[in-house]
Amino acid sequence: MLQDRRVPFRASGYNPQTYGAISLLTLIATIALWQLAASQGWISTQFASSPEAILQSLRNLYASGELWEHLSASLQRLAIGWVIGTITGIIFGLLLGLFSIARSSGMALVSALFPIPKIALVPLFIIWFGIGEGSKIVTLVFGVFFPTVINTVAGVDAVPRGLIRMGQSFGLRPLSIVAKIVLPGALPSIFAGFRITTATAIVLLVAAEMIGAEHGIGAFVLQAGNLYATDDLLAGIVVLSLLGLCVSFVVGQLERVLLRWR
Amino acid sequence: MSDVALDALERRGIGLSVCAVSHAYRGLKALEGIDIEIPPGEVTVVVGPSGCGKSTLLGILGGLVAQEAGEVVLHGDPGADCLNPLTYVFQDFALLPWRSVAGNVSLVLEDHAMDKAARAARVAEVLALTGLTEFADAWPRQLSGGMRQRVGIARALAVRPAVLLMDEPLSALDAQTRDLLLDEFAALIARTGVTTVYVTHNLPEAVRLGHSIVVLGRRPGRVREIIRIDMPLAERRPDDTALMAIEQRLWALLRDDAAEAARELA
Amino acid sequence: MHITRRGVLATSLAAASAPLIGRPARATGMKLRLGLLHTLSPAPFYMAQARGYFEKHGTPVEFVFFDAAQPIAAAAVAGDIDVGVTALTGGFFSLAGRGTLKVIGGGLHEQKGFQLTALVVSKAAFAAGLTNAGKLGGHSFGITQYGSSFHYMLGRIADQGGFDLHSVTLRPLQQIGNMVAAVKTGQVDATMIIASVAKPMADAGEVHIIGWVGDLVPYQITALFAPSRTIDSRMSDLKGFCDAYRQGVADYRRAFLEPKRIAADTDAAIADIRKFIFASDPDGPQKIREGIGWYDDGAALDVADVRAQLAWFAQQGMVKGDIDPEAIIDTRFLPTR
Ligand SMILES: Nc1ncnc2c1ncn2[C@@H]1O[C@H](COP(=O)(O)OP(=O)(O)OP(=O)(O)O)[C@@H](O)[C@H]1O
Ligand SMILES: [Mg+2]
Repeated sequence: MLQDRRVPFRASGYNPQTYGAISLLTLIATIALWQLAASQGWISTQFASSPEAILQSLRNLYASGELWEHLSASLQRLAIGWVIGTITGIIFGLLLGLFSIARSSGMALVSALFPIPKIALVPLFIIWFGIGEGSKIVTLVFGVFFPTVINTVAGVDAVPRGLIRMGQSFGLRPLSIVAKIVLPGALPSIFAGFRITTATAIVLLVAAEMIGAEHGIGAFVLQAGNLYATDDLLAGIVVLSLLGLCVSFVVGQLERVLLRWR
Repeated sequence: MSDVALDALERRGIGLSVCAVSHAYRGLKALEGIDIEIPPGEVTVVVGPSGCGKSTLLGILGGLVAQEAGEVVLHGDPGADCLNPLTYVFQDFALLPWRSVAGNVSLVLEDHAMDKAARAARVAEVLALTGLTEFADAWPRQLSGGMRQRVGIARALAVRPAVLLMDEPLSALDAQTRDLLLDEFAALIARTGVTTVYVTHNLPEAVRLGHSIVVLGRRPGRVREIIRIDMPLAERRPDDTALMAIEQRLWALLRDDAAEAARELA
Repeated sequence: MHITRRGVLATSLAAASAPLIGRPARATGMKLRLGLLHTLSPAPFYMAQARGYFEKHGTPVEFVFFDAAQPIAAAAVAGDIDVGVTALTGGFFSLAGRGTLKVIGGGLHEQKGFQLTALVVSKAAFAAGLTNAGKLGGHSFGITQYGSSFHYMLGRIADQGGFDLHSVTLRPLQQIGNMVAAVKTGQVDATMIIASVAKPMADAGEVHIIGWVGDLVPYQITALFAPSRTIDSRMSDLKGFCDAYRQGVADYRRAFLEPKRIAADTDAAIADIRKFIFASDPDGPQKIREGIGWYDDGAALDVADVRAQLAWFAQQGMVKGDIDPEAIIDTRFLPTR
């Protein structure tokens, strides 16, 4: 039996979008609910601070100048460690991506060393690089280096061979081919790595500052934990989380500028 | 196509001799005993069934594939201003997506001693020649296929080539764009007189551009026949009966091989 | 470390049923879980256990060993132990300040003439003139954590030696082993190490001992504490426990601290202690003799010292808010000094 009916649309769904307003609202609602639960006594604030108390703790930290003292120490470590890890990682990644011998030996090493937990190596780093900044920065460098190498190699592999052949066919110098074709071609993948390595660096910061650090957000969080200063502990966590947000925003903006050709 | 600065691309008189060239990929014979004379200032079209080794031959001509046997010899002086005697135009355009149109052209000049102003002038000149002036700052992704291949041509012309090596430069384009661009190629080649080797599957293209048409046979690729067409490019019309006859003859030569090629695994 | 979920459940059940049946007047006979460090410092508890004093007082005790002081306080708050003996750290006061823990008795003392904790300096620092405690200002100093007893002892040394604690670069190294390694390799100028480790290092010329904490800043280093939960619901168990502890301390003092002690007493005490520590160490008896520290008569609590410690942590900003010392001390169980 045939009947006339309108053809139904069948291709809805499976296409999630991100609405900024909803994301923000969710965050705000969660915090508001938390505060409400705390001030109404639904949850005990004895060992779980209220957002208000955390904010107050942040304010005190800011007013006393401690916040900046810790933040600047951490930012310096993060910046130095991340930059060194990233630059060496990209250079190694390019070598591994371009040369057979480097790839054969390097990839084996990277695969063997990448999965080891860097936190477990902190005590060794202290013996090798001292208790000061050296071991902290090396911890970060180590954590950043391997993902960068792996992403750079993947990026180099993803550069269309045709573009490299084009460069060769026009007689471009090897260095120009690397700088103008291979590196920019690998950049999207390298940037994808940045998202991972910046987060890794922040995670490792706490481990790196566990030993021998007087200042630093990681050291501060540990110290607050040792003293069961719950407000301070959570305030430190909030700072770390905001730091993560800021860094990911900066990476996103950088990506937008450098990869605007996409 | 613009008339600017065409005189800069004057006839260069470079020819190529292909002598007993053979090539195999891991034991698979692709080309065997190829002897072709590519005369200066002419368009040599290479046709043949899929997989007969056309791209391989072009690669050997431009030094991108190391042949197993035989040699390719370049005759004549490319001239002092020639920056890259053997220059390719690619089927897939091979443009850097992270460089603008002007940047893609400029890329191939940057390794040469040339001051900034001279380079900018050269870029502007070839963009004008290919009608791309107003797209100089566009990203490749913003361009249509036809415009992208114009960038490919502009880039090739920027280095003042002695020989243009074109591997199916129009095959990625739609039929209408292809016809338009084909006429532009013909005009450009006629005016500049640059020696050209042009690989194609498309027989109308072959008779439109070729001074001589090299027909390769199926694997291993051997020269089956070389057909000459002496009519000047500027006079060739699609409905010209003589050209249509040649096209028929080419098709007759290729049909059996093509049918067989179509039956086999790619 | 020994933590049983069933134990937690049992305690919380006991706590829950307490209001129904009122405060139990008599000992429940249920085991009391004591959290302690697996070192020589709680030796009187070992002796009380070995000699059956806890059972005798109706409160069988189960030892739950920890490898650091701080987690003992946390475990008490979490309900994994019912009573604990530990150093009074910044973290301890912070937890106690929330009304969850109370100090109920005295423990080990750093006392003049008892070489428990050595102040050690690296060879390089010693050569450069760091030869007494008063010169620590401006040097780096290894501690386990902020707010640890090492931090506190250094603070007291600073007060006494007249240098500014803030001029010392504190290096929190998390573990005692790291502190030993750091001073040995000169990565920190100074730190504190227990006698049994410090003396051989000094004899081998690896470090220099420039003083003993007991001589420099005598104080009550550990104390007995209980979570409010235990005090509220197992008052008489805790009383029995404390009586047994007192008896252990009395035996300990007779065996080790009495000037006119009898060798047989000492040997018997050492044998009992070795049931819990240095059991298979041939040098055990020697180590025990050398590591003996002071316990006050009657396991008395030095209330003034607890106040002083709390005041110091508060003044350093390591304990937040105004904590009333009275609120964290309960003197109903043991005598005070
Ligand atoms: N890099 C390579 N490795 C192995 N075999 C190859 C390689 N390149 C080409 N071949 C093989 O060599 C033969 C000739 O290839 P070539 O690309 O030169 O043919 P073609 O005539 O250009 O084909 P088409 O018309 O499809 O472009 C084919 O059989 C192809 O499969
Ligand atoms: Mg081909």
